[in-house]
Amino acid sequence: MSPVTRAELESAYVKLSGPRTRESIASARTLAELEAVRVDALGRKSALTEILKGLKELTLEDKREFAPKIQALKAELEQLVGRRRAELESSADEASLQSLDLDLTLPAVTPPRGRLHPLTQTLEEMTRILSLMGFSWAEGPHIETERYNFEALNIPEHHAARDLQDTFYLQDVPLLLRTHTSPVQIRTMESVQPPLRVICPGRVFRHEAVDAAHSAVFHQIEGLAVDKGISFADLKGTLRTFLQSLFGSSTKTRFRPSYFPFTEPSAEVDVRCLVCGGSGCPACKRSGWIEIMGAGMVHPSVFAAVGYDPEVWSGFAFGVGVERVAILRLGVPDMRLFFENDLRFLRQFDENLI
Amino acid sequence: MKILYSWLKEHLPLELPAQDLAERLLQLGFEVSSLSTRGPAFTGVVAGHVLSVEKHPNADRLSLCVVEVDSEKYPVVCGAKNVAAGQTIALARVGAVLPGGFKITRSKIRGVESQGMICSRKELGLGEDVDGIWVMDPATAVGQDVAASLGESDQILEVEFTPNRSDCLSHLGLARELSAYFRIPLRQKPAPVVPPGAIPCGGFKVEVPQACPRYVGRSFEGLTIGPSPGWLAAKLESVGLRPINSLVDITNYLLMDMGQPLHAFDADKLEGGIMVRFAKPGEKIVALDEKEYALSERCLVIADQKKPVAIAGVMGGRDTGVTEKTRRAFLESAFFDPPTIRRSSQALRLKSDASHRFERGTDPESAWTTSLRATELILKLCGRDARSSEAVDCRAPATAPSPIRVTSGRINEILGSVFPADAVESSLRCICASLEKQGETMNFTAPSYRRDLATAWDLAEEVARLAGYENIPYRTAPMALAPSRALPAQTVADRTRRRLAGLGLCEAYNYDFISDKLAAQARLQMRLIRVKNPLSEEYANLRPSLLVGLLNNARLNLNNGAETVRLFEVGKIYIPSGAGVEESTHVAGLLLGPADKHWTSPRGRTLDFFDAKGVLSELLTGIQGLTWLPLSDAAAGQAPCDPLFHPRASLRLRLAQGALGTVGMLHPAVARAWDMDREQACLFQIDLDLLTQEEGPQAKFTPFSVFPQSSRDLSLLIDDTARYGDVLGTVHGAGIAELRDVELTDKFTGQGVPTGKQSLTVRLYFGLADRTLKDAEVTAAVERVLTELQRRHGAILRS
Repeated sequence: MSPVTRAELESAYVKLSGPRTRESIASARTLAELEAVRVDALGRKSALTEILKGLKELTLEDKREFAPKIQALKAELEQLVGRRRAELESSADEASLQSLDLDLTLPAVTPPRGRLHPLTQTLEEMTRILSLMGFSWAEGPHIETERYNFEALNIPEHHAARDLQDTFYLQDVPLLLRTHTSPVQIRTMESVQPPLRVICPGRVFRHEAVDAAHSAVFHQIEGLAVDKGISFADLKGTLRTFLQSLFGSSTKTRFRPSYFPFTEPSAEVDVRCLVCGGSGCPACKRSGWIEIMGAGMVHPSVFAAVGYDPEVWSGFAFGVGVERVAILRLGVPDMRLFFENDLRFLRQFDENLI
Repeated sequence: MKILYSWLKEHLPLELPAQDLAERLLQLGFEVSSLSTRGPAFTGVVAGHVLSVEKHPNADRLSLCVVEVDSEKYPVVCGAKNVAAGQTIALARVGAVLPGGFKITRSKIRGVESQGMICSRKELGLGEDVDGIWVMDPATAVGQDVAASLGESDQILEVEFTPNRSDCLSHLGLARELSAYFRIPLRQKPAPVVPPGAIPCGGFKVEVPQACPRYVGRSFEGLTIGPSPGWLAAKLESVGLRPINSLVDITNYLLMDMGQPLHAFDADKLEGGIMVRFAKPGEKIVALDEKEYALSERCLVIADQKKPVAIAGVMGGRDTGVTEKTRRAFLESAFFDPPTIRRSSQALRLKSDASHRFERGTDPESAWTTSLRATELILKLCGRDARSSEAVDCRAPATAPSPIRVTSGRINEILGSVFPADAVESSLRCICASLEKQGETMNFTAPSYRRDLATAWDLAEEVARLAGYENIPYRTAPMALAPSRALPAQTVADRTRRRLAGLGLCEAYNYDFISDKLAAQARLQMRLIRVKNPLSEEYANLRPSLLVGLLNNARLNLNNGAETVRLFEVGKIYIPSGAGVEESTHVAGLLLGPADKHWTSPRGRTLDFFDAKGVLSELLTGIQGLTWLPLSDAAAGQAPCDPLFHPRASLRLRLAQGALGTVGMLHPAVARAWDMDREQACLFQIDLDLLTQEEGPQAKFTPFSVFPQSSRDLSLLIDDTARYGDVLGTVHGAGIAELRDVELTDKFTGQGVPTGKQSLTVRLYFGLADRTLKDAEVTAAVERVLTELQRRHGAILRS
């Protein structure tokens, strides 16, 4: 029952503003006790709330006189509660800080995290660089025809150039496992008109006995650029930029003549040995250089096979082995490790580190 | 090919050390895979002092010498005219071995004992240009070992020539190349001196001139065939050939010297005149390697009237070969069509030094000049009575090669270089047969041995090679770019890899091959794509599934002490499709072992089917219209890998377009085959190509309610045969708009649960987008759910 007369309100106010409320706030020893006091004094069912409700029954004049006093009391009590709460919290924090004693040297509990295969990581790094250099991505089948894998690439049947790439053939069908990703270049040129820049990353197959340095299955990225007026000098500049992005800006490159049926002129590209810096070590067979890529100007016969006019368009092509780059960057001593999938191997390589 | 440096110098006056030559060769495009030094090819030869020379009592041309070595005196019979008392000479004493394995023994010559041999430089394999014995420097200490005093006398370079440069596969050929590079003229050897024919040439006929455009034949009589002289034997040995007899050695020597393969037949073993033709069905031949070859009609042969006597361009026949007994011989020097020889060689799986050159292309002109050179040597080395016929040259008419028209401007355009016109021209002049100028245009005619030069691009490479690739600038021309996007296939594969690595799986790379045995162990009883020429049985087929590789990887890791294995692979699988092959990109995963096991939860728990299901659910987040069906459900359809999975513990994932993949536990027989009965491995495989076809939705923001949700836990007692999926379906099907989500929070049987029942606790979440739900509304909704669960599944609330 709310006090409704002025006298009743005044008497409630006097009681409330007396020392008892203040004392009980000050003497609360826990946050829970304090909360009980607050509810009692300031809560929805407290005497103060009752007084505030009763105010509207008074005359305007009484209200003007009495309301400020009540508001001031409320503010004061709230401030006292707040101050006491801060004191209690602070001492509780202090106690907690004093009491907790974790052995922080215990091992971390790590969420399970997988790894991308080092070859995936290496391939991604290379394709990222080449993408920034304006090459788009093309893919093609692993199983190919003689035409795409050889003939359109100026490697006729019964030609000694086929010795360069020992091939797996399929039984009962005139198909083979691609020996390079160059067929993808042919497929791309058949479907797109120049100018173009494309890379063809992927898995390739060679009929080679498997040992520490050879794998019958490996990965390549081949690139192709076709435009008007592209020269061997552009090939040199582009590949040097790529290799310096991949191995560091001070990487030295060397171009020397070679032979690929689908390029003319052809080149092998070497980088200064990353291990010894050129002074000669087992990694570079004491030569100071490491063979890293094959490249050359697209052979006019290849352009003819896809219907590009070699007198109008010119271009360069290159190929780089992913395993070879991974071995150089990661120091992996044996090709077979890439295909054994020993977790002790796979877990060593983190995409942030290479 | 092995190149003996001193032999090369016979053709070209080179001064630079062999190591430097190797560097230069690399810059020319020829890798030197090894460089070794070679000491003299003899032992037991010492420096001796000639005390006296007397005429041999029984022979006019021989002398009887006494040679002193270390105060021992040796009587030696010598045939050289230049021997004289007081000389220091090279004495091969009894026991010495000369090039070709010729051993010095105690012997009697015309009745007089000879205890050794006074050697010429030629006999020691040190040169062929000196007549008579080697008169050594008088300062040479008597008794000194001659081989030791010469030290490391020569170098052998193992040079790798690319298939386009067959013209370099001889000492002369490489010298020719280096002559152009260093701009040093070749040493011109005097033209061979061959007397006019003294006998008729044996008959021969080329029946297939396209396969054999040139055949030069010559007959010999009165031959005496024996061991080769030391210089010849030493040369052959230095390049890895075994000396056989003088005539055969001459042919091998000229092969290595001039690059033209020759073959000599024993004319007395030939039955009638010979012909060049393709083999007839059923014909066979025993070749010089003592193996019998069944010839096909693809094989070009040399045949007499009765039988094949040689596999043309590949290997001669054993029975018509030249031996020490041969008196009459027929010498072949030919130019064969390269693809024809390659076909024979491949059909017979037989390679030789000759086939290596013929299939890459030899020089038709060299067929003539080498025959001449051979004749000169045969008449010199195969007996005093040796006589030869004139050569018969059977040559198909050939069209003269058309010159390559090129300007230095065009060459600089291809190379991006700025070589002056006269430098380009002078480079080309070094390698041409002829070069005529018409204004700026050069008409370049290639020599007959450079079959590889046909276009302006070929000449550009020559100019660049001779100038050095390092003299071409680095440039990156601006390039017209087309808009480029990653391929869907690439995007899906990349995203799959990243998600799975993020979900704790390590990526594996396996070969695409699988053995019959492993396929059977994995219960993959389908037709496999077979490789025609596999490396071994292990690699006999292309894989129809990625799972076998992952099982092998899991086994390996368990063997290596791993407890938990989480692996995945993205790769191609190969399935027969009609007459062809269908290859598609899949992703597979394997999980086994303890999860979340560490010091705060030492027991952890074991990865199980639901972990695999969870990985897949995360992987496939965002894929619309995905359904999961038990493998046993007819609607799941059949898939090739099904037999590998446990039929009652596997689910098929389907999209509207078809089966997307499978997830499940291993069939017990497969688990046993990999010795993983206890591990409870769970695997999945998903067809990524199917996801590629699915156009990925671009993620869009969905607003969420700002009003609080309510939740209620229902502990249900329900038949233990009831499937949670059905219960969930009932809850969702109760038509309650306020239902936001359902979560299974507990499932158990046993204590407190009657037999045949299970306890499922589900938490239902309710909420509205525009206001807070009232208690009574939630309660009413729960009642409706319970009514439906009771009606459909007989479920009641646990008290």
